[in-house]
This record gives sequence, structure tokens and C-alpha cells, in this order.
Amino acid sequence: MKKFPQLAVPYIVWSAIMLLLPMLLIFFYSITNQGNSIVSFTLTLQHFHKFFTDPDFLLILWRSIAIAVKTTLICVLIGYPVAYFIANSSDRARNLLILVITIPMWINMLVRTYAWIGILSDGGILQSFLSLFGLGDVELMYTEGAVLLGMVYNFIPFMILQINTSLSKMDKSLLEASSDLGADGVQTFVRVTLPLSLPGVVSGITLVFLPAVSSFFIPKLLGGGQFFLIGNVIENQFITVGEWNFGSAISVIMAIIMMLSMYLVRRLDKDNTAERRVTGV
Amino acid sequence: MEKKKLIEFRNIVKEFDGQLVLKGINLDIYENEFVTLLGPSGCGKTTLLRILGGFLECDEGTVTFDGQDISKVPPYKRELNTVFQKYALFPHMSVYQNIAYGLKIKKMSKDVIEQKVMKMLKLIGLEGYENKNVTLLSGGQQQRVAIARALVNEPHVLLLDEPLGALDLKLRKEMQYELKRIQQEVGITFIFVTHDQEEALTMSDKIVVMKAGEIQQVGTPEDIYNEPVNRYVANFIGESNIIPGRMIEDRRVRFDDKTFDCVDFGFKPNQPVDVVIRPEDLDIVPVSEGKLTGTVDSVLFKGVHYELVVETVPGTHVTVSMRIIKNNEVSSENGKEKISANDFFVDIEDMKDMDDKDIIARADAQAWNPETDEYISINRIEYDLKPEEGEYPVTFETAAGTKIQKTIFVVNQPVVRNEKAGEAVSAFNFFKTVDEIEESVALDTDLKTWANAQGWKLNNEDEAVDIYVDYDFDPEKIRTGGVYRITFSTTGREFKVKTTDYIEEGQEVGLTFQPEDIHVMEKMIMG
Repeated sequence: MKKFPQLAVPYIVWSAIMLLLPMLLIFFYSITNQGNSIVSFTLTLQHFHKFFTDPDFLLILWRSIAIAVKTTLICVLIGYPVAYFIANSSDRARNLLILVITIPMWINMLVRTYAWIGILSDGGILQSFLSLFGLGDVELMYTEGAVLLGMVYNFIPFMILQINTSLSKMDKSLLEASSDLGADGVQTFVRVTLPLSLPGVVSGITLVFLPAVSSFFIPKLLGGGQFFLIGNVIENQFITVGEWNFGSAISVIMAIIMMLSMYLVRRLDKDNTAERRVTGV
Repeated sequence: MEKKKLIEFRNIVKEFDGQLVLKGINLDIYENEFVTLLGPSGCGKTTLLRILGGFLECDEGTVTFDGQDISKVPPYKRELNTVFQKYALFPHMSVYQNIAYGLKIKKMSKDVIEQKVMKMLKLIGLEGYENKNVTLLSGGQQQRVAIARALVNEPHVLLLDEPLGALDLKLRKEMQYELKRIQQEVGITFIFVTHDQEEALTMSDKIVVMKAGEIQQVGTPEDIYNEPVNRYVANFIGESNIIPGRMIEDRRVRFDDKTFDCVDFGFKPNQPVDVVIRPEDLDIVPVSEGKLTGTVDSVLFKGVHYELVVETVPGTHVTVSMRIIKNNEVSSENGKEKISANDFFVDIEDMKDMDDKDIIARADAQAWNPETDEYISINRIEYDLKPEEGEYPVTFETAAGTKIQKTIFVVNQPVVRNEKAGEAVSAFNFFKTVDEIEESVALDTDLKTWANAQGWKLNNEDEAVDIYVDYDFDPEKIRTGGVYRITFSTTGREFKVKTTDYIEEGQEVGLTFQPEDIHVMEKMIMG
């Protein structure tokens, strides 16, 4: 077949502009001062300095990473059994369940989060229900719990779908082989199913952790003013304060943290595979 | 020495989606045997193996292992191991880890595991491969690892589910010897599933031939080859000549219009039977010394021997003529319509039940609009047929009045009867256009259809006989039209013969054989 590599050129140029240019601009903002134009500007690291010397920002950063880690952990713990169940269902049931998981994604994430306000707010559905058991005064909104719930709710489909894919792809005869060699259900799961589904878990972690760590509207809506995350800081700097340069600097810091964490997760997975090949016992 | 019975299948029935896959299997397997379950795909052999492995539950019947009913025992508690069709090696483990898997599950000490795994690697000839990634091994090596992974657990029985299917021919042959060697070395029962009769003959102590969920025959390779119980087994195992015959009395069988001595007995007098003679048991002799005589139809060189096809009863032939005309179209006066049809021949008997639709189909009459290529229906057809031989005009006409006149030739069907071969063939002359020949994608089949060529057994008109088409024109070069001869024929009765002597095609030869070379089988009940 004849190939037309030159036909790809417009797409490459287009993607370069669409993907790289905004990022370069953000990077450019982060190392310049307000009021600088592209024609005349001075380079500065003062925004980075400001961030790392202010304990409030560092606390917020720490809190953001902590809640993202918690979200990811909960997603793995809930998502894995669900994905396992889906992968072991009949074809028809599997398609139906995957549809059920993806349906919420048809509705805008923001709207869905608003729906949670109705459930969690004072006098909302959940509180009314709890009051039947005499727990009416439990504070649900504007807590870390509410934010965590919103994040898990929004991001768990990515985890389930990723793990389900790697479990469904797995050759079922491996399970028979394990059983044949004397392993019961639990042993087979630990020694065969789990290790073979790890790549799915890893990509699920990436897909959940990254948006969770930089999410801003979930903490804003469900956490109110009480629960400020790094995403909210960036949003504030851009929209309320108008400090684009400082906001950009925080974004760049977040990007670097995310890249590092992704690298570490991938390394972990690769190490596992490499180790398997080298060690005998 | 009497071998100990290890496994007993009793009346095993298995159904999938309302379809009976196993119809009551009874089978005993003994210690230290190499047993092959042989049959085409879908015969239930793999299902039986999976029931033994514990991956499927049978609907009825019991499986006894070493005197205990294991029908309800889960796979991981059964003292047998399986080599899976596609090996099912764990891709995230090294060769060593794969082989050690079963031992680790049994919580053996590291030293013992290492010792056993190393012994296995030696047995399968993969020393030094212990740290290799299994996904990077060749098919043959993966195969060996799968065998080692199963054998290291020292099972009483090893189940092998078409393990050689994915290997190339040379490797498959090597592995056949290898498997047999391993089985003899470890001295346990191997149950091997295959559809390859050669594999079965090479390796087995006992072959179980299966068909459609039933066991046809159980026996040693020699038994199965030399004394097949029926046509199915004879056909499945090796090449053979299977001839319909009749048992005159004990040790006397009649086929090919002659009566021969044989060693078979126990049939009813005059019982119809199938007779098997293996190609290698037939000897070529001069015509005067032959028990059968015939013409050499084809010679194929097979390396060590020649494979001849000797025709003892000639086939039946009928020759018809095909008239090719250039064009059979008629255009309407305004040029808006075209109509075409062919003359055709028809048998008096068939003519009596012909209606308008049949005549349109037989004449291949059609009308169309030459501009849009849309079909126009033929709604008037005029003819006057009498139930006697002759030529009758027929007119096809469209609603707009475009018409074409053709001729129906009513004839007595020319049937060629061949009493010796017990068959008859018939075919008709026919008319076609150049275009129809050129547009044909499967000319032989079309010629048979056009000529309505048929062959059948004289003793049973419903039993069709295969017909072959022969003609000497080049279908690419018939633009000019004209009359062409087409011969439809049957193959007659043929014997395959394996011989080391070269014999020319077309030569008359005699065939001879010993009474013990004839094997008489009961006719198979079809269905």
C-alpha cells in the first residue's frame, strides 16, 4: 500500500499548536512578571519562591495530595471488586453494567456535583434519612468527607473501566491451569489474577490521581470555603486575584509533581515485570 | 501382568444448550497407559477430558478415579494435571516460576522445589532456561514447559488437550517421540486428545475413536487400523478402500461381482456389509493372475511409493451437446425494452408438471429496460405442449408487447444405465448464449445445472452419485458460438493401491490380495 506521510503534516502542526502552545504560554507566564509583554519581559523565579516559602500554600498542596491519594485508594478498593464482578459476568450482563457505569458520564460533571449538594446539604435527602435514626444533626456538607465522596463518585468509573479491561483481556485458561495445579480460588486470585490485572490498576491510578489532585470545583462546591485545595488556589489566582503569573507558576509546580508521580508509578510497574524476568525464585 | 484400573467413566452424558455432546460414555483407563481420544472436532473428546479434569460437570453418570467417585471434586483437589491446548503458561512468571507453581502451592520447601524443577528442566531438555520469560519461548519450548509444569506435581494421570496442534509439522513429529519417551520414563497414564490419526497411531497404547459424542471403537493402534468396526473408523484411520458387499456365508464375501474367501464370520447369510482393503494390502499382478482387474486411472509419486488409482468398474458417461448462440435478445420497436430467452429440452415426464414459471425459468426468459437496466416482468406466455416428442413453439411477451419466440424440444430422457456399476446418469442437450458462458463463475456446476445432469444408484433412486464434467472447449474462446460436446461421468469403482513399482496410466492390471487382507464390517446405520 502506498503511504502519504505528508498528509499527516497538517495534523501534527494542528496538534502542536493546540497542545503545546497553551502549555508554553503557561510556562512563560510562570517565569515572568505581570505587565510584561512578549516583546519586553524580564525573567524571574519570584513566583516559585513565593509558593515554597508560604506555609499556607504548602499546607494546601499537602492537603491536595493527601486527598488525591485517599480518593485513589478508595477508588482502587471499591473499583477492583466491582471490575472483577463485571469481568466475570456473562456478556450481556457485562455490557449492561458497563453502560450503567458510563451513563453518569453522559451528564456534565459539574451538574452531577450540584446534584450531590441536594443530597448532602442541611435538610437534604441524606440528612432527612439519617434523622429517622436520630442522627439529624450530623454535618455532611462542607467537610473533607463530602469532598472525598464527590471525587470518588466522579472518578471511579475510570478506575473500574481500566481494571475491567485488563481483567477481561486475561486468558481464562490461566485460571483453569492454576486450579489444575492445586490452587484454590484465593490462591489463584493472589498469584495469577491480581498480578496480571496490575497494569489496569496502574493506568486506573493515573487516570484517577491526576484529575483528583488538581480538581477545583468539587472542593469548591462540596467543601465550600472550608476545604481549600490547590486547584482552588490556582483558580483564585486566575479569576479572583488576577495574578496570572503566580497561578501559572503553581500550575507548573503541579505539572511537575504529576509527572514525577506518574513516572514513579510506571517505574514501580516496570520494576515488577523486570524483576519477574530476572529472579529465578 | 494385569494392569490396575485407574479411571472409570460410567454413562457420562453432557448437554450444551440442548445439544447432546456426550451420549453416555463408558470407558476404562488403566495405569501407565498412553490413551488417545481421537475424533474430529466437535465429537466430544475435549469435553470428556475437561470433565475428567474437573473443569466441567457431567449431567449424568459418574467418574471414578482410583476407586473413588470424583464427579463433584473441584479440579485443585484432583490428582491429575493438564497440559492445555494453548499451554496457558503464566505470562508474568519465568520458566522456573511456572514449573514451580504447583509445588509452591503445596508449600514445599525451597530446596525441594529447586531440586524438582531442575530435574524437570532436564527431562524436557530445557536446562539453562529457568530464568527465561515464557512469552519469549518458541511454541515447542512453551509446550515442554507446560508439560514440565504439570509433571512436576507427580500426578497419577496427565491430560493433554491437543497439545501439538499449534506446532509446525516437523516440531510436531519431534514432540510425538518426545511425549512418548517422557511417558515411558515417568511411567504414568497419559490421556491425549487429538484429531490427528497419525499422532494417535504413533504414540498410543490404546486409541478411543469417537464420533458425535459416542465411542466408536476402543483398541490398540493395530486393532483399530486392521480391524475397524465400521466405515467411519476405517475412513478416519488411514486410507482405505471401502466397498459395499454381501456376506454369502461365514468366510465367504461377495463384492465387485465376485466371491472371495475371507477370514470374517458371524454375519447373517447374504447380509449387506462394507468391505475394507487397505491400499498397501493390494498387489499389482498381470491381468491373468488378478483377482480383480482394472485400468490404472492415475499415478501419484509419494516419495517411498506410488499411489495408484485402479478402476475396476468403469464409470458411466453421457455426452450432450451445448449450442452456443451469440445473441438471443429481441428489442422492442421503440428500443425501450429488450427481451431474451433460450430454446430448451425437456423430458416428457417432466413436461407434464411444468407451469408458466417453470418454463420461464427453464428458458431463462427475461425482459429489461436497456437504459435503466431495470427488469420488466414477462406477463404473457403462450405455448401448446402435447405429451409426445416434438418441437413446440413458445412465446414470451411483456405488457408493452415486446415478445420473443423460442422452441421447446420435448424428448425422451436419454438415460445411460450401467448395470455393472449399479448406477445410471442422465443429461440434456441445452442452449446458451456466449454471455451466459462468460458470466459463469463456476462453469462446471452451471453446466451440470443447465444440462440437468443427474446420477443415481440403480437399486435406490434417491441415492445420488457424484458426477464429473468434462469438455474440450476453452470457455474463454467461444465467442463465435457453435455446438460443443460435454460429457458427464461418474468415477466407477476405484481402488487405491500403494506400490513401489511404477505403472503407467491407462495400463490394464490385475489386483490380488490375501483372504486375511479383507476386513468385513457391518454396514453403518446412518443418522
